[in-house]
Amino acid sequence: MSKQVPETIKKQSKRSFNSKEVKKEKNEKRMKLLKEIQTKAFKRAEKYEKEYLEQEQKLVELKQKALKEGSFYREPEPKLAFIIRIRGIVGVPPKPRKILQLLRLRRIYSGVFIRLNKSSLRMLHFIDPYVTWGYPDVETVRALIYKRGHARVNHQRKIIDSNEMIYDKLQKYDIVCMEDLVHEIFTVGKNFKHANSFLWAFKLKPPVGGFSTVKKSFVNKGEHGNREQYINTLVKKMI
Amino acid sequence: MTTQQLRPIVSVFPIKGKVKTIKQVPLPSVFSAPIRPDVVRFVHTNMAKNNRQAHAVSTTAGEQTSATSWGTGRAVARIPRVKGSGTGRSGQAAFGNMCRGGRMYAPKKVWRKWHRKINTNQKRYAVCSAIAATAVTPLVMSRGHRVNKLPELPLVVSDQLQSLTKTRQAVKFLKFIGAYRDVEKVIRTKKTRVGQGKYRNRRHVLRKGPMVVYARNLGIKKAFRNIPGVETASVYTLNLLKLAPGSQMGRFIIWTESAFKLLEDIYGSWEKPSKFKSGFYLPRPVMVNTDVERIIKSDQVQTVLRNRRPRSRKYGKKIQRADPYEDMSVMVKLNPYYKTKLQKQKELEEKNKKERKEIVDKSRKEYEDWLYFSEEEEEEEEEEEEEGSDEDREIEVLSDEN
Repeated sequence: MSKQVPETIKKQSKRSFNSKEVKKEKNEKRMKLLKEIQTKAFKRAEKYEKEYLEQEQKLVELKQKALKEGSFYREPEPKLAFIIRIRGIVGVPPKPRKILQLLRLRRIYSGVFIRLNKSSLRMLHFIDPYVTWGYPDVETVRALIYKRGHARVNHQRKIIDSNEMIYDKLQKYDIVCMEDLVHEIFTVGKNFKHANSFLWAFKLKPPVGGFSTVKKSFVNKGEHGNREQYINTLVKKMI
Repeated sequence: MTTQQLRPIVSVFPIKGKVKTIKQVPLPSVFSAPIRPDVVRFVHTNMAKNNRQAHAVSTTAGEQTSATSWGTGRAVARIPRVKGSGTGRSGQAAFGNMCRGGRMYAPKKVWRKWHRKINTNQKRYAVCSAIAATAVTPLVMSRGHRVNKLPELPLVVSDQLQSLTKTRQAVKFLKFIGAYRDVEKVIRTKKTRVGQGKYRNRRHVLRKGPMVVYARNLGIKKAFRNIPGVETASVYTLNLLKLAPGSQMGRFIIWTESAFKLLEDIYGSWEKPSKFKSGFYLPRPVMVNTDVERIIKSDQVQTVLRNRRPRSRKYGKKIQRADPYEDMSVMVKLNPYYKTKLQKQKELEEKNKKERKEIVDKSRKEYEDWLYFSEEEEEEEEEEEEEGSDEDREIEVLSDEN
């Protein structure tokens, strides 16, 4: 005896967004899109590799040139900083507390990227005793985003497990893949703000080998404050 | 309700002979009234209080002493104690609710509110609900009535029933129509009351059997009076306490034809008011169609809904992804260029290595050549000069060590 299908189910299956054909079509579209994204990702990654290499070489060239001429080459001031909060929540005065909140450094060993300009430098000045910060290089930025990069999706913290995720959110800023994201952050491009806010604040581990003393500044053989390029080694220990 | 203009039809059965339809009557509108167990429960609990008799404790109970407290300093509690001596009672505590022979806490008074006023409309609502429930077989069954063998529910019977005078006739009728099983149940489960009611003239407890509702009493009352469990009632004065005993709806009712027809006049409908209850219309249900699932799935609703939002299952679940620096497949998914990059790095490394090797080899060769030639020169020089300079020797020594 044939199975009796209820009328409501028959009607439901007829309706467009449930039918098999529509689902198939959607899936095909999606697959096509994914392929596009991956090809773009490949090409852009290639482009960026060249770009980073060129930048390095250029820097070296200019320095050598200056040396030859007997003058000095003043490197451009860093545009990007990575801040890590190294003190806990207890006993933080209101102003630094507010600034740490604004920078999304709400818990110990959380890290964020920040664009360096006069205003942000002044903010950093206030929170120096609670953070350590410096100028990350490409590999650090990459490692952070690849290994510990979580996206803010629907007010949720989700690990970035595909380029599709990035495409969906940042396509309008021409950021479609991981390397795009890394590039935007590292070179502090036009859409740095959007790329950065797409990323949830990084949750890092306490450093392997520990800190010397957080109470002192880095300059005084402690840990807090600006440590310029040494942030890279620290992040390696904390990632 | 416009949907109720087409009223279903109920069969009228004879009281003897063959169980077959002799007539068909339309179902009165009352039976489509909303069935509201909450209203029935409320009205029933309040109505049931109305046949209570006042009771109280004697006003003087426990107060018929002239007891006074002894006060402090006598190594006894400060409760009032009975005065005097010469009897066991003297010095005993009195007056308190905790005392033996004392008055109770808050002695019961006769002026307690025994009866309850209920809004007339609420009462009528409850009765309508209860009547409607008597036509719903599952409700009648769940109340406990044995209605399996009945030809139909609601059970309507010819008016000849009203003229029955003998109990024997009544029993015969009940057996004929299939209602006697319910009466048998009542007889079978007659028990002595549990509790003190048994010696307060309420010795036995009976279940409720069928209720016979008539329009005119031409002997029917007396005919059914002695049958255990069976109650009779005039259709003009239907009592909620009988229609929904224990506030449980679904009494098994046997209607006479004229009583059944009168229901339409007594309770009215949604269009026509009742003829007997002034200004009373049947209560309206909150929802006309209570099949919510069917409403939601109907075409009229579904075609107007927007499309379901796509569930982003692709990254909806909490996905544990491997570390891309440890798992190559994850890395390649995120950065398809990675493998090529590694390859190029490797090639570059090898190229550099090769170049370096060439340079090192070349310089080494040059140095060795220079050494070789310098040795030859020295030999020539030695031949020319009788003495070799110390410096040259030193150099030679050094080069040997190298």
